[in-house]
Formats: sequence, structure tokens, C-alpha cells
Amino acid sequence: MRVSRSLEVWKMGTINYLDALRLQEQLVSNRKAHKIPDTLLSLQHPPTYTLGKRRTDHNLLIPESDLKKMGAELHYTQRGGDITFHGPHQAILYPIISLRDIGLGARNYVEKLELTMIELASLYGVKACAGQAGETGVWVGERKIGAIGVRISFGITSHGLAFNIDPDLNYFKHIVPCGIANKEVTSLRKETDLVLPAEEVVHEQLISCFARQFGYSNLLWKENGLIS
Amino acid sequence: MASRLLWASRAASYLRISVFHRGFSSVLKDLKYADSHEWVKVEGNSAIVGITDHAQDHLGDVVYVELPEVGAPVEQGSGFGAVESVKATSDINSPVSGKILEVNEELSSSPGLVNSSPYEKGWIIKVEVSDSGELKNLMEADQYSKFCEEEDAKH
Repeated sequence: MRVSRSLEVWKMGTINYLDALRLQEQLVSNRKAHKIPDTLLSLQHPPTYTLGKRRTDHNLLIPESDLKKMGAELHYTQRGGDITFHGPHQAILYPIISLRDIGLGARNYVEKLELTMIELASLYGVKACAGQAGETGVWVGERKIGAIGVRISFGITSHGLAFNIDPDLNYFKHIVPCGIANKEVTSLRKETDLVLPAEEVVHEQLISCFARQFGYSNLLWKENGLIS
Repeated sequence: MASRLLWASRAASYLRISVFHRGFSSVLKDLKYADSHEWVKVEGNSAIVGITDHAQDHLGDVVYVELPEVGAPVEQGSGFGAVESVKATSDINSPVSGKILEVNEELSSSPGLVNSSPYEKGWIIKVEVSDSGELKNLMEADQYSKFCEEEDAKH
């Protein structure tokens, strides 16, 4: 039975990590109470390192004080996954959706997030694929182009995916990205032969890939919708 | 095809055998089930809690289980811990209210027990039940099987 499903898309621009986290908590609570439809946040962060629930800070290779000196923040979160970096020119999607309403479990949800990024990469002629067992994420050969870290609470998702359009990859040198040693991080810029359009265009393409993967037929757009 | 699977599922659950070919999830007869896919086995005043075969199958390989403290209170329908799989942390909710008597420490070193033995070795907490009247809010095995089928048919 195919019901027309709506997705409210918020285009946030660059937003501080903690502000985004607080917003997500509010949205999860509202979604759980059926006050809002499935919602998708599209954004970037200023330079930020984050850790997941397992607090794998042994994968941070420099002292926290050094991060501050380079103008980056560090945050401990409740999401799954290991340590990662977020920064300018990396496209982030935080879907706040009800998995129970669409009968998806964690595994299928994450697979669709991987397919979302794989599809986006293919638009630029880049052949990406999902990771091997235990290496969730999106890879071009042995190089990681997209990362995933998700939290599911009462069947509602938060956190999500990060796709490297053209971030400064040097930031990744200060961590063991996602806890996987000896594997490089890459970006769309590095992998494609094509000229990239304005980043806004890539963000919108990522949103379209997401909507297609998850079967949303009706998109409601909201620009810079910060709740004050 | 579907009815044969259903028969096999019922037979498996009646006989309480775990089947490896996964066209369906196993459901045990003498347990009760929450709609967030946790099971509870009541033994007098206490109860054992875990997540169902359907849940572990939909989660993927569990790499980490966040266990609560012994002695902490739990409330029916509220979270008491979490599991991590495929870079996703999923909250676990308690099907009963009461106080935690014991947690399965083995899950710290062997989180995969939740996948390989969700109803036995992969148990998560033991609870002293404060209100056995709340059990009526839970589903029986047949109801839960049907609930899972309906949920899976949604996409």
C-alpha cells in the first residue's frame, strides 16, 4: 500500500554542532508526539570532532587543547559509530523520521543512508559502495567518502550521515577516522573528473537521493528554519 | 509460501527451537512482548528481559550493549539501556516496571550473544517486578508474530 509520504526539509546552512543537537532533541520529541511530520535537516558544521556512545577517545590522536588552538570543537554524543570530523564543504543530513511508521529496522535504515550517498556519488561518475561487515559507511575503493552515525529512540532517528564534497582532509589526520586505521578519507572533489557545481546544488541532489531512497513523494521546503 | 512459513514459524516457536534459515523470526510461546520488540519472561516476582529475534535481525550485528546499574529503577515503556549495531545506537525499553536485580555482564565482552541467542544467553536484565498488573499491556506470542508481520509489510 503506497501512501503519499511527506518530508519536511530544513536547509540550515552552517550551524554549530550543539545548536543542531538541541534542535534534533526537540524535533525527536515533537515527532514522537506526532506534532510534526518526518523531517530532514540539511546543513554543514564548523570544524567539529565528535565521538559516539562508546566514547572511543583513544582514536583522537592529539590533545583536546590542540583542537581548540586550531579552532575546532570536540563533542561526546549518544550516536552510534566512532570518532569523526565535520567541517565546511561536507554535506550533512540529519533525518528525524519514524522508522516504525515505515517498518524499517536499524540495519535497513543505515543501508538506505549508504545508498543515498552511493547514488549521489554516481551522479558524478564516482563508483562508491557500502562498507564490508563492521565498516558501515560509503567507500570508493579503500577510501572513505561518507560516514554514518545514528541514534534511534522510540523508533525515531537522529544524527545521520556526512558526505565529503570537498572538506579539508588534513583535519582527518588528527584522528583514526571511524576507528578504522590504515584507510584513507577522500572527497567527491578528489574522486570525480567532473567540475563540481555550487555546493548548494550538491546539497539539493543529496536531499533528492534521500527522498527517493525512502519513498517520500511530497517534499516541503523550509529555509533556515531555526527554532528560537 | 507464506502459510508454510507461518506453519513452520508456529511449529518452531511451539517446539522452542531456533531456526537458522531466516525467512521469519522465531517467537517463543511462554513470553510476553512489547511493541518496541522486547520480550519478558515472568518467574514469580521477578522477570527476565531481552530483545526479540525480530529485533536482533533488524538491528544487524550488535557490537556494544549499554547496561544499566543494578538497583536502578525501570518503568514500563521507558528506556533502560541501548545497543549499538551498524553505527546506530538503539534504545531498549523495559516491558515491566520495577528494580533491576541483575544485568548480563557477559554482554560487555560478548555483545553478539544478543544476535545468536536473543531469548537465552542474550538476556539483558533481571527485574524485580513492582506491578504485575502491567503485564496485561503486553502482547502474547501470536499477537506479537502478527504485529511483526504487519510492521514488516509497511515498506
